[in-house]
Amino acid sequence: MKRIIKLLRLYTALFIGKLAIYVCRIAGSGGTSFPGRIAMKIYPEILRTIGSGYRIIMITGTNGKTTTARIIEQILRENHIKYVANKSGANLVSGLVTTLISDVRLKGTPSSPTALLEVDEAAFKVASKYVHPAVLVVTNFFRDQLDRYGELFSAVESVKEGILNSPDTTLVLNGDDSLCASLGRDVKNPVIYYGMDNIPGFEEENGINLNNDASYCLFCKNKYEYLYRTYSHLGSYKCPGCGFQRPEPLVHISRVPAMTGEFTTAVINTPSGNFEANINLPGFYNIYNALAAVTFAEVLGFSHDKTVKALACFESGFGRMESIPVDDKNIQVILIKNPTGLSQVLKYLSTVDRPFVICFMINDNTADGTDISWLYDVDFEPLKNMQNMIRRIFASGIRAEDMAVRLKYAGIFTDNIVIEKNNPAMLDAALNTLNAGETLFILPTYTALLDIRKLLKKRFDLKNFWQ
Amino acid sequence: MYEISICHLYPDLLNLYGDYGNIQALIRRLEWRGINVQVHPVSIGDPFSPDSYDIVFIGGGQNYEQDILHKDLLKQKKKPLTEAVENGTVFLCICGGYQLMGKYYKLSSGTEIECLGAMNHWTIGYEKRLTGNLVFKIEGLKQQSDSLVVGFENHSGKTYLGDGVTPLGKVVYGYGNNGEDGYEGARYKNVFCSYSHGSLLPKNPALTDELITLALKRKYRDFVSLQPLNDKIEAMARENMIKRLIRS
Repeated sequence: MKRIIKLLRLYTALFIGKLAIYVCRIAGSGGTSFPGRIAMKIYPEILRTIGSGYRIIMITGTNGKTTTARIIEQILRENHIKYVANKSGANLVSGLVTTLISDVRLKGTPSSPTALLEVDEAAFKVASKYVHPAVLVVTNFFRDQLDRYGELFSAVESVKEGILNSPDTTLVLNGDDSLCASLGRDVKNPVIYYGMDNIPGFEEENGINLNNDASYCLFCKNKYEYLYRTYSHLGSYKCPGCGFQRPEPLVHISRVPAMTGEFTTAVINTPSGNFEANINLPGFYNIYNALAAVTFAEVLGFSHDKTVKALACFESGFGRMESIPVDDKNIQVILIKNPTGLSQVLKYLSTVDRPFVICFMINDNTADGTDISWLYDVDFEPLKNMQNMIRRIFASGIRAEDMAVRLKYAGIFTDNIVIEKNNPAMLDAALNTLNAGETLFILPTYTALLDIRKLLKKRFDLKNFWQ
Repeated sequence: MYEISICHLYPDLLNLYGDYGNIQALIRRLEWRGINVQVHPVSIGDPFSPDSYDIVFIGGGQNYEQDILHKDLLKQKKKPLTEAVENGTVFLCICGGYQLMGKYYKLSSGTEIECLGAMNHWTIGYEKRLTGNLVFKIEGLKQQSDSLVVGFENHSGKTYLGDGVTPLGKVVYGYGNNGEDGYEGARYKNVFCSYSHGSLLPKNPALTDELITLALKRKYRDFVSLQPLNDKIEAMARENMIKRLIRS
C-alpha cells in the first residue's frame, strides 16, 4: 500500500510538473525552476528517482558553465547522442528537476537517456545527495557574489563535498586553476586535468594583480611561484612549501595560431593525437571553455573529427556573446557576473578593430549580487587605453549612476558617459551613435540580461531563452 | 608642489570587496587637483616605516588571508604601525582592516585572535553575517549638507568600541558595527575605520576629501583648503541609493 501511495505521489509530481512547464511556456515565461520546485514539494525524492535513469554530465565552476555546456551539447549532437539540457541556465536543484521532468515520460523513464546539466557550485553539493554524474566538468573558481556565498573558498568546499558524495564520477578539472585542481587531490575518483601551455604573447603581465583569489597555497599557505600565468590566478603554479603544483594536463593547448574578433584557432594535444580546431567564439577565456569540452569528449572517446566540427559551429548560450544583426549594424550581448569575467570581456573588447559603443547594465537584485563593489575589482585599464575606439559608453540598470562613478574613477572621460536607465531609449540612442558595420556591446548583469533580452526579443524576434 | 604618499598595506592579501577603489579615489582626487601622489604597496616581509606615509589604507580579507599575514602583522608591523597612528598619520581601515586595528577578534568557536591593539575596540565573530546596503551619518562632514555616507557591509564580526575611541557615524540604514548600538565605524586620532565598502571613497567624495585635507594639513603648514571638484555623478549615485533605502 505504501509503495502504491509513493508511486501515486511520483506520478502526480511528474504530471503537475509537466503541466506547470506547459502553462509557464504558454504564458510566455520560461518556467525553468518553478515546476521543479512544485514537483519536489509533492515528491521530495524526485531527483533521485527520475535521475537514476539518466547518464548525467554535470558542469560547475564560477565562469564558463553555460558556454562549456553549449559546446558539449554540440559535441553530443555531432555524435548523434540524444540528450536533454538545462539550456536556460536555471542551475539550482529546482532547475535540474525541471529539466528532467520536461524530458521524462509520465511513467518516469527518460526519453533522452543523457542529461547535460550545468550546476551552481553550492547546488552541486545538494544535488549530489540524490544523483551522481558520470562526468563532472569543473571550469574554474573566482570571486563571485560574496554577498551570497560569504567567502570564495566556501564554493570550492561545496564542490569538494559533492565530489566526496560521488566517488565514481570521472572528474574533468582545470589544472591551471589551483583551486580547481585541489579538488582532484586525495579523492578516489578518476581525474583528468586540462590546461594551457605557456603560449608566447598570451602570458598575463604581472601588473597589480587585483584578483588575488589564490596567490597562496590552499594547503599550506605559502605563496605560489608561477612559471607563467594565463589570466587571473590561472597558470603554472607551484607551492614552494608543500610542493602542490599544477598537475600535468592530459589534454592541453600548445599553440594558438589565430585569434580574431569572431573565432580562435587552437592546437589541442590529447593522448590520442593532436589536432587544430577553430573555436566559434572569440575571447581568451572561451579557449578554456572549449578545452574543457574537448577534454570531456576525450573522456567519452569521441572522434576528433566530430569534436572539431562541433567547436566550429556550436551556438553560444543566451547572452553569452550572442550576436544580433540589426540592419547594417550589430549588437552583441555579453553577460557579466564577476570581476574576472568582466576583466576578460574588456580584454576581448580591446581586440575589436572598429569603433564601437558599450552599454553597461548593472542591477543589484539577488541574482546579480546585491553588492556592486565587485566593479572596483575589475581592471578597467584596457577600456581607458582604447577611448579613441569608443564612440560612447552608456550606463544603465538599477545602479547606472554607480557604474558611471566607477568609469569616472577609472579615468574615462565623463563627457563620453551617458546615464540612461530607460532601456528602449538607451537602445535607440546607442544604435544611432553607430555607423554601418559597427557593434553595440551590451554588458548586462544577470537580471539586466533578462530585461534587455526581452526588449531585444520583441524588437528583433529572437528565440526564447529556454530554447 | 604638494605631494602625498599613500601606503597600501597587504594589497595582495587584503583586497576583498573592491578595496582598491578607495586607493583609486584618493589617487584621482589628488591628481585632479594637481597634487603629486605615490602609492607604496607594503606586504609580508616589507618594512613599514612610521614616518614615510601620509595616508595608510588597510582593506578587508577572508579568514584565510588574514591567517597568512597575522604573524607578519604582529611581529614586524605592530610597533611602527602603532607609532604611525600615534603621530597622527591618516588611516583608512575597512572591514577586516578595521578589525585588525583593534585589540582582538574572538571567533565564534571561542578562540581569541590577537590584533594590533592600536585602538581600543574588539570584535566578536558570529555565524550569521551582517550583509547589505549601509547608510550612516558622519557629523561635521564638510561639503555635504546631509552628511550621509553610502556603502555596503558584509561581516560576520560584531565590533564594540572601548574608551578613547569614538564612532565614525550613526547608522541610518543597515547594521553598522554590531547591529545593536546604532553606531558605525570608529575614529581615533586621524584613523578612520568603517565596515563600509562598496567602494566607500569613490561614491562619498566628501569623506575622501576630508582624509586628503587632514593629510595635507598635517604635512604642509601653508595648506588651507582643497579646490572643489565637479562631483555631479557621485552625488547622483549617492542620491539614488539614499532615495531608494531611506526615502521610500
